[in-house]
Amino acid sequence: MMAGGLATASQAKLTWLRFRRHRMAMVGLGIVLLMYLVALFAEPVAPFNPDKSNARLVFHPPQMVQFFDGWAFSPHVLAYRLARDPVTLQPRYVADGSRKVRLRFFVAGDPYKLWGLFDGTIHLIGPENAGDTVFILGADRQGRDVLSRMIHGARASLSIGLVGVSISLVLGITLGGLSGFFGGRVDWGVQRVIEFIISLPTIPIWLALAAILPKEWSPMAIYFTITLIISLVGWTELARVVRGRFLALRGDSFVTAAWLDGCSQGRIIFRHMLPSLTSHIIAAVTLAIPNMILAETALSFLGLGLKPPAISWGALLREAQNVQSIAAAPWLLLPGAAVALTVLALNFLGDGLRDAADPYAH
Amino acid sequence: MGRFIVRRLAGMVPFIILVSITVFMLIKLTPGDFVSNYAAALAAAGETVDDAMLASMRSRYGLDQPWLVQYWDWISGVAVGDFGYSFQWQQPVSGLIGERMGLTLILSVSTLLFTWSVALPIGVYSAVRRYSIGDYLFTFIGFVGLAVPGFLLALVLMYVGVSVFHADVGGLFSSAYADAPWSWARCVDLAQHLWIPIIILGTSGAASLIRIMRANLLDQLHQPYVDTARAKGLSEFTLLVRYPIRVALNPFVSTLGWVLPNLVSGAVIISVVLNLPTAGPLLLQALLGQDQYLAGAFLLLLCSLTVIGTLLSDILLALLDPRIRFQ
Amino acid sequence: MRQLTKLAMLAVAIGCTGLAGAAEYHEAPAMAELVKGGKLPPVAERLPSAPEVVQVASVGRYGGSLRSAIRGDGDHNAILRLVGNQGLTRWDPAYTKAVPALAASWTVNANATEYTFKLRPGAKWSDGVPFTADDITFVVNDLFTDKAFFESPPSQYVVGGKPMRAEKIDDATVKLIFAAPYLRLPDVLATPLGQHPTLYAKHYCSQFMPKYNPDLPKLLAAAKQPDWPTLFRQKCGDIEIPARWGNPEKPVMDPWVLQTPYGGSATQVLLRRNPYFWQVDQAGNQLPYIDSLTLKVISDVQAILLAEIGGQLDLQVRHTNTINNKPVLAQHAKEAGYVLQELTPTDSSAMGLWFNQSAKNPKTREWLRNREFRQALSLAMDRDEINEIVFLGQGKPWQIGPLPTDKFYNARLGTQYIQHDPAAANAILDRIGLAKKDSNGMRLTPAGEKLFISIDAMVVDTAAIDTAELLKKQWAAVGIELGINTMERSLYYEKAQNADYDIGTYAVPGGMNPTLDPRGLIATHTLDSRQSIPWVRWYATGGKQGEEPTEGMKERMRLWDAWKQASDPAEAERMVRRIMDLAADGFEVMGTVQAVTTFGSRSVKLMNVPEKIPFGWDYPTPAPALLQQFYFTN
Repeated sequence: MMAGGLATASQAKLTWLRFRRHRMAMVGLGIVLLMYLVALFAEPVAPFNPDKSNARLVFHPPQMVQFFDGWAFSPHVLAYRLARDPVTLQPRYVADGSRKVRLRFFVAGDPYKLWGLFDGTIHLIGPENAGDTVFILGADRQGRDVLSRMIHGARASLSIGLVGVSISLVLGITLGGLSGFFGGRVDWGVQRVIEFIISLPTIPIWLALAAILPKEWSPMAIYFTITLIISLVGWTELARVVRGRFLALRGDSFVTAAWLDGCSQGRIIFRHMLPSLTSHIIAAVTLAIPNMILAETALSFLGLGLKPPAISWGALLREAQNVQSIAAAPWLLLPGAAVALTVLALNFLGDGLRDAADPYAH
Repeated sequence: MGRFIVRRLAGMVPFIILVSITVFMLIKLTPGDFVSNYAAALAAAGETVDDAMLASMRSRYGLDQPWLVQYWDWISGVAVGDFGYSFQWQQPVSGLIGERMGLTLILSVSTLLFTWSVALPIGVYSAVRRYSIGDYLFTFIGFVGLAVPGFLLALVLMYVGVSVFHADVGGLFSSAYADAPWSWARCVDLAQHLWIPIIILGTSGAASLIRIMRANLLDQLHQPYVDTARAKGLSEFTLLVRYPIRVALNPFVSTLGWVLPNLVSGAVIISVVLNLPTAGPLLLQALLGQDQYLAGAFLLLLCSLTVIGTLLSDILLALLDPRIRFQ
Repeated sequence: MRQLTKLAMLAVAIGCTGLAGAAEYHEAPAMAELVKGGKLPPVAERLPSAPEVVQVASVGRYGGSLRSAIRGDGDHNAILRLVGNQGLTRWDPAYTKAVPALAASWTVNANATEYTFKLRPGAKWSDGVPFTADDITFVVNDLFTDKAFFESPPSQYVVGGKPMRAEKIDDATVKLIFAAPYLRLPDVLATPLGQHPTLYAKHYCSQFMPKYNPDLPKLLAAAKQPDWPTLFRQKCGDIEIPARWGNPEKPVMDPWVLQTPYGGSATQVLLRRNPYFWQVDQAGNQLPYIDSLTLKVISDVQAILLAEIGGQLDLQVRHTNTINNKPVLAQHAKEAGYVLQELTPTDSSAMGLWFNQSAKNPKTREWLRNREFRQALSLAMDRDEINEIVFLGQGKPWQIGPLPTDKFYNARLGTQYIQHDPAAANAILDRIGLAKKDSNGMRLTPAGEKLFISIDAMVVDTAAIDTAELLKKQWAAVGIELGINTMERSLYYEKAQNADYDIGTYAVPGGMNPTLDPRGLIATHTLDSRQSIPWVRWYATGGKQGEEPTEGMKERMRLWDAWKQASDPAEAERMVRRIMDLAADGFEVMGTVQAVTTFGSRSVKLMNVPEKIPFGWDYPTPAPALLQQFYFTN
């Protein structure tokens, strides 16, 4: 890039150039894009139908993929077979002779309907023979493939969960901003509303909601409603923080300068005051995401979580919250890793964006 | 400022009454009543209960009255300091709450101290040494901590504790001290049990706090006034503590007032898993079982704490940052 | 069953005879100390003149504290199950018949309307005051008839529309009188709900009754209680309310008495030995052997399981005894020093599908009430798969009703339509008007609407949810779409009351002694006869409320009423068999897999525990296995 090009580059271009130099941010961006792609094409990407249970494969442990057979490249896993301990009833898997299950890309497997529209049977990866199974991340208590379930679960968690965060964000910034910017009566009103919301007990609300929601609704519609309500409660903390900072900032010289310049109130709030707390907002958002993805886990004991057979990462973690899973099938905790990876990626993405947009960055 | 405080305090009473009505209405909105829940609990355990007894319970507790009448019975008692009666335990509500609140307070304050003492230094370090190995490490640990639901973390740690270290399952006291009067030995026993819940309850809080502190400090560190101060020759430590950290504390102070109510109502499920004799599990039981006066009194208390907490944090905000004025 | 009986009899054989002549009694060392210090009368004076002699498998040693866990939320019945089942009669440990307990013997008149109970002379409450016929007449004649206390007397004491009466013959003899024959009284008195006659000590509890205490207003004011029934229940409790375990002053007949009560803030409940307990072993040692019970209050079931596998509990049979906990329990047994305690199921089906015959939803109601439709769904069910996945292969395909070991076993009720036959299911569904299908292969009603049936399950009932998930898949194969509603307990019960569900799910009781709990066969249980709660209401109100049941169900209800008042045992048995047949015809409740043996845990040091203990409520496990004769070895 020539110096002359830099000097005349637009703000957006400068930002992008700076962003690209941010290695972790680029990695984050890559992971986020990949996850959304996987979620979008969950049916063909997942090796199996996530609901396919099999009594002979319960709690099947993860299998290590071996890429070479002798010297030839031939990815495969060793086949196991269930031998339940007759006394303890513990499922044990023993090698099924030396039988190998070979893996292929783009193989025919469980039939599916992509987005409920297109019929298909081709999976990105899967066992050569459609009847075989391969559990890269193990199987759950009904013998269902954890990897396929995680891939399908990404859909709900990466869409509905994030919508909730956005609603909280918009409400929190707007109401907090107004409260802090105007002070006085507006502040008094908004703060009382916040106190009121915080004082309301959520458990009776959820219990009542569980009774009211029509049972014909699809699990996803119910999940969305719940997320909506969580975000309607969740904006309060961000609003308090934004307000606190605005109260401090509104007397600052740069705000007065903007006033005197004849800027509109909206422009002062969003263009001048808000950018000075970008870092906080990015942090608040990245912190809210795992909470939002997992909120339904905590609600599940009230019967308000995602109902089976719908899947989300939260629902998968909920199924793992018992001593049997922790003791005998710790791979069921893996959806937690997916949540962590998502949040880490989004966090680095956010950091990169913030640095790139910060004119003071050194 | 004085006028501001007086006005806020005066507004408290009608506000709390409004909240108490809403809360009571919400409790009554949930399916069934205490008696049907009581019967359901027994039936679900495969046990049977006599129908005649249920009917007489309902009329004895006044549950066949309209909810406004029940509310009035209760709130008029509250006004003279009688918080009502717990159906479940056949005990006055005030006694039940009192016993639990003490331990809740101890646990809340220790958790708060733990979180702050861990999170603030790490947050400052992460901001000042941004993108260092340490920063990445803390970021990673923090988000993993946030991505695992607290009660699952509690269960995993307890499993490890029990199967590897043969630790007691949850609780705040060992069996010998559970009902003993307060003594030095009992305090030691408490301290020996307290650290596990503190770590589990504090982990996700600390992880969040580190991120918030780091972010807010980053917003400040690149402000021109920091460069000015540095140019004037202030030592790096004085410079950090005197200005940017002070400003960066603003978000904590804004929500400081909610710490106690949050710990009572926010960490309920973790407290249940860890078997803590704190207020949260009792409140949860009361709400699920519709032990309405117990739940109502709890929520009233929490609401008052929230209102007072918000007021305190507003006062602190003004003290921390002289630019803030409440007209 | 027979095998089980034998095993249990080996472990705890019971003798009813007193020790011959001037017996030599022994007591726990701590009690002997108190006697020496003059704080307690000698053991021979504390025991009845003829204490019940329990023939224990091995004579134990005194001492130790038994640790168990109870939950924090309304788990008072856990204490009842450990110590609180001391009635006039009790179950023999194998759950085959009622045997004498606080009553040394009884006789009954020819038409079963009058029972004469001989009490144990000299038996005493835990405070040393004699237990006499007056205590029983106090409950039966004063309390049951008091409208302020019992709006109507508990139904188990109402026969022929009239409550039972008691008549004192002498201090140790009491007669219970009924308006109609009541053959099952001895059985009823052995169940937890039959303990009223021995629950209240007159000398203590009468002070809370206006009739006996003119100064009651003072007591009420001091306790800040609105009325005497509330105060009475707070102080003396009732069969199954937490307050029963909230007052250490209350005299009881239990082997252990309260030391630290069960209250809202309790983290543990402690009970210590009752110095006046009325049973001895064959060597004349006063029971119980174990000094005290330490019941840890642990709210979360998973945490109880953790305590169990950590070896922190000596006996745990409740909450964690589900089949899917067995692997984890077995895995840690050796290291933690416990063995698995086998619990024989008294239920019939491990998971039942209760088809709501009064469903509110008009679109599904017609189908739920169609017997052929239910038959098709039963044939479409792959019970082997459910058994393998949900019950770890431990059960076998089964409908409902008494198990093959029970004398009332009915093959049709238990095994009709249990084979997996999707072709036959499809044929039936095609025939009954569901032949049309939509593009996904799901069946449409004759009106062309999709037939959508939903199944309700409690969130805590993972077995029900897993079964439902498998059923969804299995029924989809024959074109029936199933929705799964999981919900919190309160809503689950609320919806039952409003008949607002299609299929309810929970285990079906009645595998052993089916007449004690016939809810799956006859709509009698006001909360849980989920084949139709409106039918229960119709039955309970004599047809004034609710919904009129089918002819078959009405016939069963009529037989049930007749059976309750039958005086001829052979005739009564015929009626029960007829009820079984009619229930098989009705087929309102569908079973999946036979109830499976579950496992609790007991310390390896705990002795005299029967190899197998039935698990149930009418047999309130483990009390009838006689906890008082368990002991710790060194």
